[in-house]
Amino acid sequence: MIGAWRRLDVSIALFALVALVLAILVVLPIGWLAWYSVTDNSGHLTTANFVRLVADPAMRKPFIITFQIAIGAALLACAVAVPLAWLVSRTNLPARGAIRALVTASFVTPPFLGAVAWELLAAPNSGILNQWARKILNLDDYDYIFDIYTVQGVIFCIACYTFPYVFTVLANALENIPADLDDASHILGGGAWATLRRVTLPLVLPSILAGTLVAFLQALTIFGTPAILALPAGFHTLTTKIWSLFQVPPQPNLAAAAALPMLLITLGVLQFQRWLLGRRSYVVVGGKNSPPRRIQLGALKIPALLLCFLIMLGPIFLPYAALIKSAITNNLSDPLSLSTLSWRHLNFILWEFSGTRDAMVNTLILGVASATAVTFIALVVGYLAHRQLVPGHRFLPALAMAPIAVPGIVMGVGLFLVYTRPPFLLYGTLGILLVAFVTLEMPAGFQQVQAAMRGLHVELEEASRIFGATRMQALMQITAPLLRTTIIATWSIVFIGVIRELSATILLTTSNTKVISVVIYDLNESGELGAIAVLGLFLLVITFAIVLLVNRLPILGGRPVR
Amino acid sequence: MASVELRGVRKAYGKLTVADGIDLKIEHGELVCLLGPSGCGKTTTLRLIAGFIVPDAGEIIVGDRRLSSGGQALPPEKRNMSMIFQSYALWPHMTVADNVAYGLKLRRLPKADIARKVASMLAVAKLEKLADRFPGELSGGQQQRVALARALAVEPETLLLDEPLSNLDTNLREEMRFEIRRLHDEFRYTTVYVTHDQLEAMTTADRIVVMNAGRIEQIGSPEDIFLRPLTEFTARFIGGTNILRGAASGHTIHCGRLAIQWSQGQTDGQAQAAISIRPHEIELHPTPSPGENTFPGRVLRHTYIGAQRDYLIELDPETHIRVVTRLDQHYAPGDTVGVHLPIQHCRALAR
Repeated sequence: MIGAWRRLDVSIALFALVALVLAILVVLPIGWLAWYSVTDNSGHLTTANFVRLVADPAMRKPFIITFQIAIGAALLACAVAVPLAWLVSRTNLPARGAIRALVTASFVTPPFLGAVAWELLAAPNSGILNQWARKILNLDDYDYIFDIYTVQGVIFCIACYTFPYVFTVLANALENIPADLDDASHILGGGAWATLRRVTLPLVLPSILAGTLVAFLQALTIFGTPAILALPAGFHTLTTKIWSLFQVPPQPNLAAAAALPMLLITLGVLQFQRWLLGRRSYVVVGGKNSPPRRIQLGALKIPALLLCFLIMLGPIFLPYAALIKSAITNNLSDPLSLSTLSWRHLNFILWEFSGTRDAMVNTLILGVASATAVTFIALVVGYLAHRQLVPGHRFLPALAMAPIAVPGIVMGVGLFLVYTRPPFLLYGTLGILLVAFVTLEMPAGFQQVQAAMRGLHVELEEASRIFGATRMQALMQITAPLLRTTIIATWSIVFIGVIRELSATILLTTSNTKVISVVIYDLNESGELGAIAVLGLFLLVITFAIVLLVNRLPILGGRPVR
Repeated sequence: MASVELRGVRKAYGKLTVADGIDLKIEHGELVCLLGPSGCGKTTTLRLIAGFIVPDAGEIIVGDRRLSSGGQALPPEKRNMSMIFQSYALWPHMTVADNVAYGLKLRRLPKADIARKVASMLAVAKLEKLADRFPGELSGGQQQRVALARALAVEPETLLLDEPLSNLDTNLREEMRFEIRRLHDEFRYTTVYVTHDQLEAMTTADRIVVMNAGRIEQIGSPEDIFLRPLTEFTARFIGGTNILRGAASGHTIHCGRLAIQWSQGQTDGQAQAAISIRPHEIELHPTPSPGENTFPGRVLRHTYIGAQRDYLIELDPETHIRVVTRLDQHYAPGDTVGVHLPIQHCRALAR
């Protein structure tokens, strides 16, 4: 519609503005990051930073450990998610809805909170599980079975909260396989096992790999879990190392150089993943999808269900129980009984500790502002791109999706470099956090909007135009109401994403701009685990309230939609 | 109401030309069908008229207003047209009555008028009982009628229909064809109707515009188009036909060993020419006796198709034709028959 642009001046202006904003959000930090990585303190070009990355054992070791952790966590997540996804989406396992809900719960649980909870459970001395073990196995006072402050502990804790990435991709793929493909195998003589091995699994193999790669990237770039579990044990991962380079004396050039490989690996892995999933298109061939027939588990039903709940001990049952217990008892070692109940931690968080209320207010402000901004920009980009209203519309979605390749900690470094200098002196204000959240959450928000736009037939809007509505009227009367649920869902997803962010926040926050996730991290350093539990549960309650709200959203007043 | 005129309208997307110089005048109150295979440019032409697409060149004139010209177009909402979409495009968040009232509300009619018009439109479309339903709660045929009611309620100058029946099943489609024609006879809006179904075009249109590859092949009444096709494309697309090719000399073409005479139509004057004769116009005789345009042939295939029989006949090794006969003419594969191509049905084609 190139010829139409003359009467779309507003769209053009809006396009230019949005493109500019997106470019500033993404290009500026990455540009500065690259520049810093090849300069020294006084701004002269040098390769010294990269030389140090390789030569200095203090820099090299975190690289190796990070890869061990990322590979280990990805494999563990995959091993757990594959049977779980298959059971939930292809068999008659009882309580499938509950299992799905538990996976969602793992998905939205902030990983740093999970790490704190596992400290409560499996710290060598005070850990609840170790206390039980001593009692049951009659061990000596300082013997222990579990030690969460190890590489294995970090791997376990990360896998607990990254396996949902594999699960989601795989469960979707399994559900999209037309039942006919299975039926065709059965009619040719394949039994349930042969069909699973020769048809179903090969079909979803690319999805398994793709999901595992996402888990790998998450584990590679996560900050909270290693910061809480690895630092006390005296080892660094890449993210904690980068963070430590910002402590006194700050070494931003080295930090930039260390962040760059992470960016490149992410880019490469995402490209590979896209290629994998692109080849997968054969999974969805066939127009008429007969409803999938579920495999009858028979006698294995109960063992399978037990397996699912056993898996859920790791991310949900044990950590949540530990958090609740430590929130309401005086000391972690106290047994849970009426006499040991205490409001001490609640009291501390709400009244004694001055940081809480500021952090809550900041979190709320940032959550609302980021969610609103992302939703608005995503809607504008989605609309302009989908309706192909402006020349160059193809580039907007790419720009909006670009941050998906930028890990939080990398974005944190980039933003720190950009906004601690004129002309954008945002460091020390909530503004820099807003910029960070909007950028990091843009891809998630945009994906929501894009999916909805695809499902919205252009003719619905055109019909309104032909009956006399201007473009603006058509937007307000037809498109906006039809996108209402998408708007709410997008907003909520961004909000949840913001309140659990720690990797970028930790680099950009100052004493005046603390948010809840940072306060939890600080409290962990000072050993206030009970207070963390209260705050963490508070965070979880908000998150689950929002998740429930989104899931219960009446689609257009609960009426069936054509 | 007014006439709609397209003059040299052109539209291309990159190298792909989808409307290649369309000239067409639709008279006031006329129902014209744009007919052609998918990708022929008929929907593009409709959307050019609606103002959703801006032409690269040419102009579109409705009544005495020039609505589009090269690079410019009045937006759709200013054209006083209405349209029925292939997907119906009923708004799922509005009831049937709200859908129908939408255009009237935009025209800021008094509330009482709107209510009255909506009620009468719903009555015309036999939708009174469904007024408070949502589109998702209606069957395909009911949705189609809501789309009709919504389009007619605004009393447009011009009514545009984009394959309105393609989502319905066969029986319903037949019923709706007559319904659309009935409503047109009642309201007499200038109507442009896009379809790829020749039967739909035949039963509804005053005139049919056959389109192919972004161009108009032929314009004429349904009878014109069927009985007097000008080009091979039209003859094949409407009704199906046998095309016989060969060297032309006067009113005869030499197709292999056969010399076939023709009396209808016109060649384009080239040395090679083609004639068309429809399967049901050919006569078969039990014995191959000599006569005017009569040739011996061998039955290759016989298919019983209910009220008729369908034969594939070999006239010579390179020339096979299809013949449709009455039921009482029964031949078996391998039989030798006399094939008469009546001169008055042999039609020379320009392209």
